Amino acid sequence: MARRGTARIGDYAAYAFLLLACAFVLVPLAWGLSTSFKAPQDVFASPPQWIPATIELGNYSRGLFAPRFMRYILNSALVVAGALVLSVALAVHAAYAVSRFQFRFKEALLFVIWSTVMIPGVSIIVPLYLMAVDIGIYDTLFVVIVAYSAWLVPTLIWLLRGFIDTIPTELEESAFVDGCGRLKTFYVVVLPLLRPGLAAAGVLVFVTIWNDFLLAFALTLRDENRLLQVGLYSFVTELGIEWGPLMAATIGSTIPVIVAFALLQRSFIQGLTGGAVKG
Amino acid sequence: MSSSIGVRRLQPYLFFYPSLILVAAVSFVPLFYALRQSVHSADYLQTGGFVGIANYVELLRHGGGLADIGRSIVFVLGSLALTMPLGIGLALLLDRPMRFRAILRTVLMLPWIVSQLVTGLLWTWLYDGRVGPISHLLKQVGVNIAGPLTDTQWALPSLMVTNTWHSYPLVMVFTLAALQTIPAEVREAARIDAGSAWRRFRHVTLPLIRSTVLVALVLTTLHTFNTVTTVLIMTGGGPAEATQVLALRVFKEGFQFYRQEVAATAAVVIFGLNILFSIAYIRVLRADRG
Repeated sequence: MARRGTARIGDYAAYAFLLLACAFVLVPLAWGLSTSFKAPQDVFASPPQWIPATIELGNYSRGLFAPRFMRYILNSALVVAGALVLSVALAVHAAYAVSRFQFRFKEALLFVIWSTVMIPGVSIIVPLYLMAVDIGIYDTLFVVIVAYSAWLVPTLIWLLRGFIDTIPTELEESAFVDGCGRLKTFYVVVLPLLRPGLAAAGVLVFVTIWNDFLLAFALTLRDENRLLQVGLYSFVTELGIEWGPLMAATIGSTIPVIVAFALLQRSFIQGLTGGAVKG
Repeated sequence: MSSSIGVRRLQPYLFFYPSLILVAAVSFVPLFYALRQSVHSADYLQTGGFVGIANYVELLRHGGGLADIGRSIVFVLGSLALTMPLGIGLALLLDRPMRFRAILRTVLMLPWIVSQLVTGLLWTWLYDGRVGPISHLLKQVGVNIAGPLTDTQWALPSLMVTNTWHSYPLVMVFTLAALQTIPAEVREAARIDAGSAWRRFRHVTLPLIRSTVLVALVLTTLHTFNTVTTVLIMTGGGPAEATQVLALRVFKEGFQFYRQEVAATAAVVIFGLNILFSIAYIRVLRADRG
């Protein structure tokens, strides 16, 4: 009886703490969301107003849906698409080679690739910028795609290798017996089985590029080449801050990630932990 | 026939080398570039003559580099002190059958997928000295400061709280995954034998999840130490350099002051410290397992 009593108190305490943590998570988002619907005079109301007195949708048309901001979102989407094709195409082949082939210096070369994960972005953004200027590809979406792909490939190889390792080789062997070559076997037999791995890879590529500020800032200059996060930053630095439209753009651009997360949580966890956690 | 055998021989290389070349070009080449620049002078975007360790001496002795490193370390330690207990604690609470577990877990993971810049913007606005709810609350309990981010005493701790918001979910997800690998019999035995919940955690659970927790600790350390974006958007290093961490220094030297040699030198120092932290943790992990 007493035991059940303490267990019950323990449960309530656990719920209370979890709800407190949820409040910690949600308060900044709620404050931003609330501001995104406020008329200019309410934004600076004191004491703080959590529920706007009047709902002002103009913040969204001037922030999130402003042509300039739509351009940033389009650029981010283009770079995600380009990097998705480039990085996943490269990584899936490399991961297959690592999982199935023996070749000279395999372990050493693999170590070289994976060790680049240890190079922090902040250590190489300035040289990358200078190199891009030297080569003459600075301030193009092309260089942004290439740079993000290179950053993603090591983790993608790790992730996809984990998935390929779980596919039994017997499937490929029976395809060889049927006269399929290595390449055809890879595309026809292995790739379709890799769907969960490719989904996790896609999530990693999407979230990394959609959310990153540093590299895109370092490699682009003109307004027309800005990515989403750089665009948000420029709202703060170039114009006087208008919190209503800024929060509309901030919250609005985060919603696609939140929705995708809610729908594809398993792939998210696999992708963002590089396959270390199997969702 | 011979050509097809040739292709088959080449296949591993054709599959593997494109990745290798791209990664080397975009990761190693810039790193060497930074190393080279750090021992040369710079003349506006052009590399000048060899100067040995003069840039390092300049950065660390006169340029405030040591103070930047000190602030980075305080930032990391403060963030870890908040992030690790919070992440592990929430994982322990979520690791048991309960109603609404899925929804609680989803909500608690949300900050993980919010960008650093958005995190910084949301918290800047929350901390706002004129109308932000936190300043309002502080004033009501009698703390009179201009604002959490504009007060030299409060700025760095405020950034730690923000950084905790953004980084505890990773610790939580890793810990939760490790907890779920603990066999049911072990849990049951522990529940009967180990007495208090704390003893159970200390002597049964923690040893079993220790290596995963260490990995999360390394990732959080490096992530925090290398953070530029949140600090840049929230304080830009101010007020009066109170939040000027080493990673931010690289960004400002490279893209605001255009002193490439200082930026490169600070970048190399950051890289070195990253390696140092990782080696230290790996040794702890090895000792732990051996």
